[in-house]
Amino acid sequence: MIRNKYILLAFRLVVGGMFTWAGVSKIIDPLGFAQNMANYRVFPQGISFFLALILPWAEIICGVFLILGIFRYASALLLSGFLAVFLVLITVTIIRGIDIDCGCFGSLSGKVDYKLIMADSILLFFSLNIYFSRKAVRQ
Amino acid sequence: MALKKLILQIALILFLSLIIGLGINFSLIKKYFLGDFRFGFISLEEYDSITFITLGEAEGLFSEGETLFIDSRPKEAFQAGHILGAVNIPFEEYKKEKALDLIFLPPEETVVVYCDGSECHSSLELAKVLHQKGLLDIRIFFGGWVEWTNEGLPVSSEK
Repeated sequence: MIRNKYILLAFRLVVGGMFTWAGVSKIIDPLGFAQNMANYRVFPQGISFFLALILPWAEIICGVFLILGIFRYASALLLSGFLAVFLVLITVTIIRGIDIDCGCFGSLSGKVDYKLIMADSILLFFSLNIYFSRKAVRQ
Repeated sequence: MALKKLILQIALILFLSLIIGLGINFSLIKKYFLGDFRFGFISLEEYDSITFITLGEAEGLFSEGETLFIDSRPKEAFQAGHILGAVNIPFEEYKKEKALDLIFLPPEETVVVYCDGSECHSSLELAKVLHQKGLLDIRIFFGGWVEWTNEGLPVSSEK
């Protein structure tokens, strides 16, 4: 685990910035994001719709909190959970051979592919480091 | 104690997201419960040339023989079998090859777009493109190929 406070600050800015950007790009077009969710063919129509309305705001709140250092560990833990779910979803989609846009950044999204798994894994590593630095602070 | 605080903070973030997300999108939620997004998530006010049709309506248009049926599935699926008289605009392949700009259809042409069925969304995506190209009457047959063949309606293949 990385303990250097400057590196951890850089992680917070990167993860916070990415999720804030991702959230904003989704709230601009909630129906487009709902369709992206439905395209994964995992969630029923209703769940895709309500997730598309709520999830981007959770991303923005956590992202901004991480940048500002408010509830940073809770935000990092929640974003780690999101990233873990995204990774499972992306992997399942690739295995099922479904060719779709990921919906990660609204209309600017790329395809669901192995590069996306790499990017999400790096963000997960960053956010878990932020969360586990909590124990280091407490010790 | 620290864990309790963490859980409370997470709950607060989720609660805030729920309140803001549902509050800001109240008009969309109202439309959802009125049944506007049963088939796909598009604003029918924004895409006013698009309507969703049932198997019965698709069959009616087919019998009249004046409507162009467009199959948005991949080329191989189309060649294996399609609605009799349909033309193929394989959405994903065209999108990849940036060939969607090359599609030309007269604006007054009534078209029925379909793909496999409710599990696929290429018909919806293609309909959006056709709307942007100025077509005035685009019908999406959401039951698609699956419903059509289940009813034993006329098909043809290129094999």
